[in-house]
Amino acid sequence: MAISRRAVGLGILGLSAAATGALVYGRSSPLIRGYLGEETKLFGFIGGEKERFLANPDVVSALRRHGGLVLDARRAGSVEMARERTLLDQKPQFLWPSSSVLVDLARASGVKIQRDQVILNSPIVVYSWDVVAKGLVAAGLAQPDGAVRYRLDLARLLDAILQNRAWADIGVPSLYGRARLLSTDPNRSNSGFMFAGLAANLLAGEVATPQSLTVVGDKVQAIFTGMGYKPSSSGKMFEDYIAGGPGAQPLIVGYENQLVEWVLEDEARWSRLEAAAPAKPVILYPQPTVFSAHPLIAIDETANALIDALMSPDVQEIAWTKHGFRGPLGTSGEIDTPLVKDRILPRIDQVLPMPDIRTMLALIDRLAA
Amino acid sequence: MTARTAIVTARTAMRPGAGFARFLRLALAIPVLAGALASCSRPGPDITIVAGSENKPLEPLVQEFCTAHSAKCSFVYKGSLDIGFGLKSTSDPLQADVIWPAASIWVDLFDEGRRVKHLQSISQSPVVLGVRKSKAEALGWTGREVTTADILAAVRDGKLKFLMSSATQSNSGAGAYLAMLTTAVGKDLLGEADLASADVRDKARSLLAGVERTSGSSGWLGDLFLDQDQRGIHYDAMWNYESVLKETNDTLVARGSEPLWLVYPKDGVAVSDGPLGYLDRGRGSEVETFVLDLQKFLLGDDAQKRIAATGRRIGPGRAEAAKPVADWNFDPSRPITAIRPPEPKVIWAALNLYQDALRRPSLTTLCLDVSGSMDGPGIDQLRAAMTFLFTPDTTRDLLVQWSSEDRIFAIAFSSAPGPAMPGSGAPADQERLKEWGAGLRADGGTDMYACAWQALRAMTPVLGTGRFLPAIVIMTDGQSQGDLQGFLQAWREDGHKVPVFGITFGDADRTQLDRLAAETGGRVFDGRSGLVDAFRAVRGYN
Repeated sequence: MAISRRAVGLGILGLSAAATGALVYGRSSPLIRGYLGEETKLFGFIGGEKERFLANPDVVSALRRHGGLVLDARRAGSVEMARERTLLDQKPQFLWPSSSVLVDLARASGVKIQRDQVILNSPIVVYSWDVVAKGLVAAGLAQPDGAVRYRLDLARLLDAILQNRAWADIGVPSLYGRARLLSTDPNRSNSGFMFAGLAANLLAGEVATPQSLTVVGDKVQAIFTGMGYKPSSSGKMFEDYIAGGPGAQPLIVGYENQLVEWVLEDEARWSRLEAAAPAKPVILYPQPTVFSAHPLIAIDETANALIDALMSPDVQEIAWTKHGFRGPLGTSGEIDTPLVKDRILPRIDQVLPMPDIRTMLALIDRLAA
Repeated sequence: MTARTAIVTARTAMRPGAGFARFLRLALAIPVLAGALASCSRPGPDITIVAGSENKPLEPLVQEFCTAHSAKCSFVYKGSLDIGFGLKSTSDPLQADVIWPAASIWVDLFDEGRRVKHLQSISQSPVVLGVRKSKAEALGWTGREVTTADILAAVRDGKLKFLMSSATQSNSGAGAYLAMLTTAVGKDLLGEADLASADVRDKARSLLAGVERTSGSSGWLGDLFLDQDQRGIHYDAMWNYESVLKETNDTLVARGSEPLWLVYPKDGVAVSDGPLGYLDRGRGSEVETFVLDLQKFLLGDDAQKRIAATGRRIGPGRAEAAKPVADWNFDPSRPITAIRPPEPKVIWAALNLYQDALRRPSLTTLCLDVSGSMDGPGIDQLRAAMTFLFTPDTTRDLLVQWSSEDRIFAIAFSSAPGPAMPGSGAPADQERLKEWGAGLRADGGTDMYACAWQALRAMTPVLGTGRFLPAIVIMTDGQSQGDLQGFLQAWREDGHKVPVFGITFGDADRTQLDRLAAETGGRVFDGRSGLVDAFRAVRGYN
């Protein structure tokens, strides 16, 4: 069939219009933008416990797919990113701290929030070693819950620390000196911040308020002063715990996802550890505990796309299966690997709300003194 | 398939345009693949790694990775506190892409702009006391556990002296000092009030009186021990990393010398966590990815196995620890009690207290080349260095301040040495030395040996007291005339083994200074990129 020159011309015009339309459509669609290789670079601060998650190549490529997002995410303490001028003056486009309360703190620091959304959840836990945990069980401070996980009577442990009890007095004669539980710096990092709130709640016997701090504030302060140097990042602290062993880091405060992530990162390493290491890491679930929600705060409008990308099912799937983060509602997904299955509680029952931001600010000011 | 995967798949299937997306993915995959293949053969980036000297034995491992990736990796060795100061400085920021200090606490304390990313511990090593085996036996330490109180008693009784790097310049020195101080207090944790206690200060001063030589670098201290051993000078003991002590013993045993017995104080030791991190200075994702890959390589099974074989401790499950050596009491799988580092403000106070009052006072003679070739920018730099060295506010910022206990002589030399200008670290004396430095003029030839001789003569009356850690520091920019052998003979006759340190500047002939330093147990520093830095570095050595 012969094609007229007019038809060819119209065809070319039509194709050109279609291509232009596709391009315009593509540019407005995050999916196509990603495929076209167009990048939206976003700079912001994140809590250290999410560093590995964001460095995961699957997450990197998922973010590229969702709108060509490329992150320059720097590790900073959750509390400091929400209020330190040295960090905020660097004009981050997003902040990703580890507690919902910190959204209020960022707002109070003058951060113009476009949008905020809890992306992930992880309960605050205490990490220890099987040899230490068994001692705590013998001393009545913890109970086994299955073969490799424990429930911790945190109020009693705090009481023993406040009484300057030696390790030997609380069932762990293999350790030298006084019992200690370490957290990150509550004025810089969220796990320390949340642990301060949890300790205040437990000592007050209720969700702490400015009034109850007048009664229990000194005790919380004594617990934190007794820790000495407190790292600024929970990610680093967990690493120190794993690397240091029971002699250096007998009990630390962390997020549940940290051990899960470490196990899944290198299953062969974990198997070797289970087979040969003299001491093995275990999770102690404080009863009750608090949930660390990880809200993404979009400061720049372009960072809204990051919230959508992180909430997408594929990214949420990676968050759970590779990094142990529970979803926005605190529910766990399914984990096939038996290495992790028995170590975590399927459901966290006893959860206390955090004290409000007014109480927390009063508390951490006191702990900074 | 997990529940979440199912959701993802279902949504993908339902999404309109999913077929188009699949087509686009395929079409775009071809150039992406080609690009990826091309990038395989692309040379890697040029990167600079600033590392603690204790990481030197691991450099070949890193270079292997760099070579395999056609990358150029340059190592610069600095003390951990030095790396920290570089992270903090906005006027003279650290020029590096990777930092690898001995302990992450210094990054945490100094990196105020949070420019360090992906910090991960590569290996760990506790700071312990290596004691010559016969000495350890004589002290009765080979058959039982030892506490800090035992070490204190041995030092007080004059039965033990040791080498220890500077607490204010090096992580191992800071670690040993903080551990000694903490355990001497008899608590688990050092508090501000403890530092004010006369009893604690007395104990710390007594312990530090045992310091026979100090340095700004733990690696150099290990080398000094070995070098001096070969020259027939057998030091009693050395605080250093467990891994450096193993390396030292490997060499001692190979040459048939007496090994060191490792003492792990039962009441607590400091631990280096050897973190490697990416320093973001805007070089882009290629460099960042390369550093992440390097980190992955170093934490991989093969590299960890090789790192463990060097005597470093590695995380659980990664590889087996090096075999214990019963004859040295070396055992990197032995559980240790780590001291709890105090709060940052207490660390600062403790380090300042060390520099101001507790360390063994220094006796330093500065021989400063003012020959004609120094005229112009050279003499200006020298004056600036003297201004830095004798301005307490600036030296305090970098923890190299003098104390009023310190004794100083300054001598300007050209063809012949000028008079020795005496002083102490007291503020008025520093002011006087600063004014003297400002008045330096360049003229004449160069004879550094004559100046060194003059230095020894000036120091002799004070050396006899045994109170001070002595050093002669020679800064020169030229080829020296004069009599090396004459000086060395006088040096041997003096018998106080005063180390001679050199600072090269301009076109200085390094071989002459190297020879002087080697003969006397000193070290040569390169001052070409800045005399202030070189003089500051020397301050860590006495």
